[in-house]
Amino acid sequence: MTEFAFASHVPVGENRYRERYGLDFEDFAIGQTFKHRPGLTVSQQDNVEDALDTLNQAMLHFDEHYASKTEWQRPLVVSTLTLQHLIGLTWKTFGKKVRILGWADISMTGPVFGGDTLYAETEIKGKQDIAEDPSRGRLTVVTKGINQNGALVCSMEYDLLVYKRDYMPFAQANY
Amino acid sequence: MGTFYSHRKLAEDTYIEIAGVEYEDFEVGQIFEHRPGRTFTAEENRRHALRSADLSIRNVDAVYNDKVYKGEQLIAETLILSVVTAMTTKTFNKVVANLGWKNIQFPTLVRAGDTIYAESEILGKRESQSRPAQAVLHVRTRAVNQCGDEVCAFERRLLIYKRGLGPYEAAGY
Repeated sequence: MTEFAFASHVPVGENRYRERYGLDFEDFAIGQTFKHRPGLTVSQQDNVEDALDTLNQAMLHFDEHYASKTEWQRPLVVSTLTLQHLIGLTWKTFGKKVRILGWADISMTGPVFGGDTLYAETEIKGKQDIAEDPSRGRLTVVTKGINQNGALVCSMEYDLLVYKRDYMPFAQANY
Repeated sequence: MGTFYSHRKLAEDTYIEIAGVEYEDFEVGQIFEHRPGRTFTAEENRRHALRSADLSIRNVDAVYNDKVYKGEQLIAETLILSVVTAMTTKTFNKVVANLGWKNIQFPTLVRAGDTIYAESEILGKRESQSRPAQAVLHVRTRAVNQCGDEVCAFERRLLIYKRGLGPYEAAGY
């Protein structure tokens, strides 16, 4: 028997359903783990473009000849590209994020190369109300990045603000 | 005061550019000001979100952003972190791998149109036990906006090659 949780659509009329973006602050509880889907395959082209877009001058990311002489033997993916993909992949659960307050820790635990596929999963570690602002709450979470072979490539702990249920602007904006 | 070099002489009147400062030349307490600065635009923030597979509504629906977030064009935290980290790569170029960050903070929000500048302080250095050709650098990087307000700060550990022990000669660097 399959068990389901959290509505993906909100009924807004007769036979009419609107897609829902993200869980409400009230839906989260300490100890929950969310496996985010889809995953995302990172290409070496993505890696080059990210390095050039950000003015990253470490040639390990975009000089394949140089990279072939390192212990990695091929270009290593920019670590911030890995972590931005991991954060990006969480939107279906954290779509009602106000913003990220900061990271306590980010560990790059394994190399990522062009062609690797990243999957994200997040565990809820802490949850607290904001006394001065009833529209939102604060979550402490750990997001892990796992590649196609099941190897952990990144683990990060961060705090984010998430809107609470029925916070009016979502409805006003037709979401 | 240390002296750092940008070029190496290959032959009379022939110079090759050097990438990065050598591990041995770093000392605890040194501060490196990274240049150039970098300006953020709303369009790159949107592109960054889409490229990250991030379908958060505020990135793609301006009406929603106006109503829920009062129209503020805030730059994504992951983009700020990417750019500030990338800004350090001219000085910290001889990197084997980036090991991780600690205590990443965003004291002031960054909006489209803002320009940031970064600097890094050397907090510690030690040789690697398991990798004799390599060493670990511990740095604190902070970035300020055009008004001088701190917008991002973090500590980071990176693995770098020791002098003469990297792949530079083999790769023609």
